Amino acid sequence: MTAVVLAAAVGALFALGTFLLLRRDLVRVVWGLAIISQAANVYLLAMGGIAPATTDSVPVLAGHGDHVPQTADPLVQALVLTAIVIGFGMTAFALVLSYRVYEEHDTLDVSELGDRER
Amino acid sequence: MTAPPVGTESQLVIAPMLVVLVAAVGSLLLGRRPRARAAVSLAGGAAYAVAVAAIDWYIVLAPDAPGIATYQVGDWAAPFGITLVADGLSAFMLTMVAILGVCSLVFSTRHLPGGEGRSYYFPLFHFLALGVTGAFLTGDLFNLFVWFEVMLMASYVFVAYSGGPQHTRAAFWYVSLNLLASAVFLLGVGGIYATTGTLNMADLAQRLADPAAYGLDPVPVVGLLGLLLSVFAIKAGLVPFQFWIPTAYRAAPPQITALLAGATKKVGIYAIIRLSFTVFAGAEVAVDLSVPLLGVTIAGDSPLPFVGAALFVMATASILLGGIGAVGRDSMEGVFAYSSIGQVGFIAIPVAIAATTASPDLRRFAIIAALVFALNHTLAKGLLFLAVGTVRAATGTTRLDDLGGLARRSPPLAIAVFVASLALVGIPPLSGFFGKFLVFDAAARAENGPAIVLLLAGSLLTIAYATRMWNRSFWGARTPAVEVATVDSVQVTVLVVLATAIVAVGVGFEPVYEFARTAAEAALDTESYVDAVDPQAADDLLGSSGGEH
Repeated sequence: MTAVVLAAAVGALFALGTFLLLRRDLVRVVWGLAIISQAANVYLLAMGGIAPATTDSVPVLAGHGDHVPQTADPLVQALVLTAIVIGFGMTAFALVLSYRVYEEHDTLDVSELGDRER
Repeated sequence: MTAPPVGTESQLVIAPMLVVLVAAVGSLLLGRRPRARAAVSLAGGAAYAVAVAAIDWYIVLAPDAPGIATYQVGDWAAPFGITLVADGLSAFMLTMVAILGVCSLVFSTRHLPGGEGRSYYFPLFHFLALGVTGAFLTGDLFNLFVWFEVMLMASYVFVAYSGGPQHTRAAFWYVSLNLLASAVFLLGVGGIYATTGTLNMADLAQRLADPAAYGLDPVPVVGLLGLLLSVFAIKAGLVPFQFWIPTAYRAAPPQITALLAGATKKVGIYAIIRLSFTVFAGAEVAVDLSVPLLGVTIAGDSPLPFVGAALFVMATASILLGGIGAVGRDSMEGVFAYSSIGQVGFIAIPVAIAATTASPDLRRFAIIAALVFALNHTLAKGLLFLAVGTVRAATGTTRLDDLGGLARRSPPLAIAVFVASLALVGIPPLSGFFGKFLVFDAAARAENGPAIVLLLAGSLLTIAYATRMWNRSFWGARTPAVEVATVDSVQVTVLVVLATAIVAVGVGFEPVYEFARTAAEAALDTESYVDAVDPQAADDLLGSSGGEH
């Protein structure tokens, strides 16, 4: 059940992100990027799965006796944490850039920004 | 078999990263004092070159060198902790970056582009180098992602650096594309973790080579490898992922463009070679796929034939599109940016041959060819982009229409650019001759007719655009812009040094070939890679083939 819900959530997030990414408004494009990177994070977490841990798979818990609780894969948690930080940083940078684009071009409409080449 | 002791070699592995990190922080702290900042940066660059040279000698090239050394960060053992690995392939790539990096750094001390953001130039430069170095040294798939991001963050700022409206726009598209690529990278990484239960490259190679022992199904890995390849192809700028290159290369300062073409592109190539040959080559996936339209059959017992087929298609398109695009450009950096797309195709062709062939000898030879060509590309294209910087600083323009007669104005500059152009074309005795010769030789040994025709066409296009660029900017009557030009002597010296390096690599090719051979062997030798990184896993597998982790 959880797997289906997670899959649906990831799919919906990617769909929404892609939809926003294809908009003409630069701010929506940034939103799309932010949502896609969050979708990738949720996907990453889902890939680790939730399972009864062992002291082998969670070395940090090795000193806590025999009973180790059910947990989301700690490795994946660490990865997602890193990915979230990077993703937020980059989204902030993209927002700043879009503001700068607005200042310089007086528009946030992609089609008015002109040809990418020239 | 016991874990290798933590010794000098092990610490050497992290030396270049530490050096460049210290240089970055140091130059950041000295932001307000331009002279001290430049001095610290230069010292950092020199120390970086020394650290890389030490890795080259003590780990790879010395007679009793181990060939590979690892550093387990925080002393966590391999499958859990972060592993840094230096072997022949990493060392070869690092050497290219070190040579070009130091040249670009010296070049940068003379003329810093940009306005108020100037004090951040050197720290960013070092962070870019840090990302590249980390990507070459990491032994962990997720860490590769992190180092890619470090490298990209610095490059984002550089693309927006010059501050004009068109630079901001170029940077926005560059950032958007790479954020999307990062999400795809995460998808690949997550999928591989779910399939195999590990992200450590050595552990991954180990498990894929013996899937039954670990109870995993290697088939999905082919598709996931495809996802990762598309991300690396974006970094390498292979068609159809090349569209960001002309705009981004034009927007970034020339000395950074030299690094983008010479170093970050190589990170993409390195990742393709490392993952395809060291990590995924051992996966046993029976492949038998016939493509009805072309009458080609892709067959083999590992994911490599897929990689080869995909690379071959991308390389073909890159060579043609890059070459034809370069012929029509009207500015120097436009020509070189498109040429850069074409040249990466020349690197990808031998990699594709290596992936599709069944013969181990030919596979090794083809990778040597790719590496030598990559070295030539780094030196020649690095020199040419730096020359763009010199020309722009001297004349204020790089449009071919506004240039002319540069050869008489500054003969050393002209000679350096001439040497680099000839190296691109592949004239003996320059480094480019051996690069191109080996690539042709690999195609001939593979008895791959279409590849040879393609390489010939690509070479002719190279001659066409190199001649055109040369004729229009260096010969002919002097234009007003060239008449008043003052060429910076230090910048020209850097160019001459690089040109000398191109000649030196060509004349003294034997040691370079040996180094490339060592690198290619390291790329193909999964066993010693696994053994060095994760001796425990190797033991498990030898002892009881059902070893649980």
